[in-house]
Amino acid sequence: MIATVVLVLRLALAIALYIFLGWALLTLWQELKQQGKSLSERKKTGISIAQKSEQGNAREFHFYQADIVIGRHTHCDIAVLDEVVSAQHARLTYHHGQWWLEDLSSTNGTFLNGSKVNTPTVVITDDEFKCGNTRFVIRVDADENAAIT
Amino acid sequence: MNRFLQDRLLKAAAVFMVLQGALLTLAPAVRARSLDADLRWTQWFAALMWGIPVFLVQRGITKRLPDADPYLFPAAAFLSGWGLLTIWRLDPHYGARQGLWFTISLIVLLFGLRLPTNLGFLRRYKYSLLTGGFLLVALTLLFGTNPIGFGPELWLGCCGVYFQPSETLKLLLIVFLSAYLSDRLAIRVRAFSLVLLTTIISGLGILLLLFQRDLGTASIFIALFTCMIYLATGKKRTLLFSAALIALFAVSGYFFIDIVHARVAAWLNPWADPGGGSYQIIQALLAVANGGLEGRGPGLGNPNLVPVAVSDFIYAAIAEETGLFGTLGLLALFGLILARGLRAALRAPDLFRRFCAAGISAYFGIQTILIIGGNLRLLPLTGVTLPFVSYGGSSLLTSFIALLFLLHISNHLDEEPAPLPQPQPYLILGALLALGLFAAALANGWWTVIRGPDLLTRTDNPRRVIADRFVPRGDIVDRSNSVITTTVGKIGELERSYVYPDLAPVTGYNHPKYGQAGLEASLDGYLRGLQGTPASTILWNQLLYGMSPPGLDVRLTLDLYLQFRADEMMFGHSGAVVMLNAQSGEILVMSSHPTFNPNHLEEIGSELRDDPEHPLINRAAQGLYPTGTVIAPFAQAVLGKETLTDAERETVYEAVGLQRTPQLQLEVAEPLSNSELNHFHVSPLQVALASAALSAHGVIPAPNIAAAVNTPAEGWVILPTLGTPTDAIPSELADEAVRALILEGNNFWSHIGQATEADSSVTWFIGGTPPNWGGTPIVIVVLIEENNPRLAQRIGEELIVDAMNP
Repeated sequence: MIATVVLVLRLALAIALYIFLGWALLTLWQELKQQGKSLSERKKTGISIAQKSEQGNAREFHFYQADIVIGRHTHCDIAVLDEVVSAQHARLTYHHGQWWLEDLSSTNGTFLNGSKVNTPTVVITDDEFKCGNTRFVIRVDADENAAIT
Repeated sequence: MNRFLQDRLLKAAAVFMVLQGALLTLAPAVRARSLDADLRWTQWFAALMWGIPVFLVQRGITKRLPDADPYLFPAAAFLSGWGLLTIWRLDPHYGARQGLWFTISLIVLLFGLRLPTNLGFLRRYKYSLLTGGFLLVALTLLFGTNPIGFGPELWLGCCGVYFQPSETLKLLLIVFLSAYLSDRLAIRVRAFSLVLLTTIISGLGILLLLFQRDLGTASIFIALFTCMIYLATGKKRTLLFSAALIALFAVSGYFFIDIVHARVAAWLNPWADPGGGSYQIIQALLAVANGGLEGRGPGLGNPNLVPVAVSDFIYAAIAEETGLFGTLGLLALFGLILARGLRAALRAPDLFRRFCAAGISAYFGIQTILIIGGNLRLLPLTGVTLPFVSYGGSSLLTSFIALLFLLHISNHLDEEPAPLPQPQPYLILGALLALGLFAAALANGWWTVIRGPDLLTRTDNPRRVIADRFVPRGDIVDRSNSVITTTVGKIGELERSYVYPDLAPVTGYNHPKYGQAGLEASLDGYLRGLQGTPASTILWNQLLYGMSPPGLDVRLTLDLYLQFRADEMMFGHSGAVVMLNAQSGEILVMSSHPTFNPNHLEEIGSELRDDPEHPLINRAAQGLYPTGTVIAPFAQAVLGKETLTDAERETVYEAVGLQRTPQLQLEVAEPLSNSELNHFHVSPLQVALASAALSAHGVIPAPNIAAAVNTPAEGWVILPTLGTPTDAIPSELADEAVRALILEGNNFWSHIGQATEADSSVTWFIGGTPPNWGGTPIVIVVLIEENNPRLAQRIGEELIVDAMNP
C-alpha cells in the first residue's frame, strides 16, 4: 500500500522535473517566436539608390528591406551589367538605426565618396559610392515614420 | 515577464524538493514493507536550508537585477537542491555541511547582487585577483590538508572548515583572461602576443596544480585556457593544439604518473580488475544499470555502495534512484544553464563581459561533462565535482559566484550587444558542449537499457545479496514437504536457515559472502521468484521495490527419512550414496560425505575451500571414481560375459550410458575418459542410473531431483525432467542378469565391486529390487573411498530393506 503511494509520489517527482523543463522550453520557444516576429515587423527606414552607369543611364531603386546586395549576379538585389563588378560586390545593411555600406571582398573594391571601403561604413543621403564603373547615389528616407504615414 | 517566469520555475523546483523530501521520509517504510518503520525526517532541515535562501535570493534578483536571465537561477537552485537532498540521503552529516555551504553561497550571491552590473571592478583588479588566487593555491603547498585525512592535500583550513583554493582559481583564471584579452583585443595586437603572456600565466597555474597532483583541475585549466584563446582569436588551430597537448599529457601521464596510469587503465578496461583499481567505476555502472529507466525511487536504491558517492559519483547515485528519466532531466538542466550562459555571452554589451560569460559557461560545461563522462566510463575518471550538485563547499560557492557573474552579465538594460566579427567560435563552443551532454545521455542509455540487464547479474553486484535480506527466499522441502532449507528473520534481516545441514553438498547454500552452490544455485530462478511467477508480478515488484517478488518453495524428490538413514551410516566415512526410483528416475537419497554445516558458513567458509577432504564437492554427482569390478553385472547383461577386453569394455560403457552426462538440475561431473580405457571414471549417479536399467527391464530413466514448485497461480506445478529415458539393454537380458545377482535369502539383487588405483581404492555396492517386484522399483549405489566391502554391503542392504518396507 505504502509502496503504491510512494510510486505515485515518484511519478509526481518526475512530473515536477519535467514541468520545470517544459515551462523553460515553452517560454524559450515563445521568446524565439516573439523575437522572430518583432524582427520581421521591425520598422525600417527605406532607402533609394540611384544607379548611374558610365553611359549616364540612371535607374532608381527603392527598398524597405534591411539587406541589399549589389553585384553582377542576377540574384542580387541590384544586378549590374558591368564587367568590372564582382558577382557579389557590396552590401547595404540597416542596423543600429543606420544604413551601413560594406564591401564583399570584391575584386576591384567599393569606393565611398572616392575613398575605398574597408570596414562597414555608415552612409547618409547624397553619399555616392562606386562599384566597378557603376556609380550609385543614396537617398535615405527622411523619417522612420514617414514611410508609414 | 522575466520575474514571473523565474518565480514559476522556482515554484516547480520547490514542488520537486517537497516531493523528494516526502519520498525520503517514506522510503524506510517501503523498504520494511510496513508503516511500522523508522521514518526519516531530518532531510526536511535540508529542504528548509534550501527554501529560505532561495526565496530571499529570488526577491533580491527581482529587486536588483530585474532584467537578469530568468532561467539561470531557477536551474542552478534546482540542481543544488537536488544535490543537497541526495547528499543528505547518502549521509546526513555531509548533507548538513552542504546545507550550510549552500546557505553561505546564497548569502554571498544575495550581497553580490548589489555589485555594479558592469563588473568593472573585476576587470580593474585582474592581476591582483589572479595573484591572490595563485597565492592561496601556493599556500596549500605549505599548509595544505585533506579533510578526510589522506589523498592530495588541496585544502586550506582547520577545525572542520576547509576551503579548496583551486576551485576559485578556475573562476579567477576566467576573469583574468577575459579582462586581459578584451583589453588587448581593443588595441588590435597580433594573436601571438596575445597568447604569449596568457600562456605563461596559465602554464604557471597548470604547473602549480600538477605539482599539487590536482589533475582534474589542471585538465580543466587547459581546456578553459583553450576556450578563451579560441574565442578571442577565432583560430581553430588553438583547439587542435590544445587537444594535442591534453592527449600528450594523458599519454605521458599514463606512463609516468601512477594515478593517471591507474585511472586510464581503469577506463580502458575496467573489467580486468573489478575488485581493485576499477572497483569504483564498476560499482558506479552497476548503480546506473540498477536505476533502469524509472529509477528505484529516492531513498530506495543502494547508491552508498559506490565509494565517494557524495562528490565524485553523485551522478551515479542520482541515476540509481531516479533512473534514466531523472538523469536526462538533470542533463537538460545543465543544458539550459549552458545555453542561457552562451546567450548572455552573445548579448553582452562589451567584450570583457562576453568572454567572461562564455568562459563561465565553458567552465560549467567542461566540468559537468568531465565528471559525468567519468561516471559513465565515457572519459577517464577525474576527481572534479559536478557543479551545483556534488558535495563540496568551495565548489558550490565558486559555482554560485560564477552564476552571480552570469546574472549580472545577462542583466543588460537595453544596451546593444557588442559587435561580433566572428560568431563561429561561440557556435562551435556551444555545439561541443551540447555534443558532450548528448554523449553523456547516450552513454547513460547504453548502460541502463542495453548493458544493464547483463551487468546486474554480475557476481560483484551486491544488490542481489541485499535483496535476499528483504525478500523471503523460497523453501526447499522433501517429497513429503518436510523442510530442508528455509528463510528466517524479519524483513531487512532475513537469512537462510539449513534445517537439514547434512544435505549441504547437494542442496548447497545461499550466502552473502560465498555466493550460491548446489540446488540453491541451480534452482535460484524459482527460489528467488523470478521463474514461475507471472511476469506482471515480477514487473510490479521491480517497480515498487526494485527487487524480485517473494521466492517460491521447491519440492525435491528426496525422502528425508531414507536420507537421514544414509547419512547416519555414512558418518565418519568418505563417499556417497545414491538411491533412485528405478522407473521414474526420482532421486530418493543423495548423500555425500564428509559434509559441512552451511549454517556456520560465515566462520568456516574459508577453511572449507582449502579442506583436503573437499566437503564442498557433491561426491554423488560430481565425484568421479574408477569402476573396477562394479561393471561386471552390466557386462553380463550386455555381452553375456564378465571378463572384457578394452574394446568390449567401451561397448558396455556406451550401452549403459556411463559415457553420457546425466541431465539434472544440479552440477554434474562430465565423464572423464583418459586415453587408456580402463581409466574410465564415473560418478555414483551414473552407476545408479545404469543400475536402474537392470531393475527396470533395461530402460535408463531420466534422473530428477526437483519435483515441483509451488506457484502462486496454480499451486504445486510438476517440474519436468531434463533428460528422457533411454533403452539400454534388451529387457530379457537385463532381467536374466539381475536374477543371477539375487543372493540366497534376499528379495533384492546386489553386487559388490572394487577398484584400486595408484595407492587408493574404492568399494562399490549396487543393488535393487528384482524385475518382478510389485512395489516401487528401487536401486541404490553406495560408494566408499576405502577398501571395505563389508561396510558398503551393510549400508546398502540396510537402506534397500528400509526402502522396500516403508
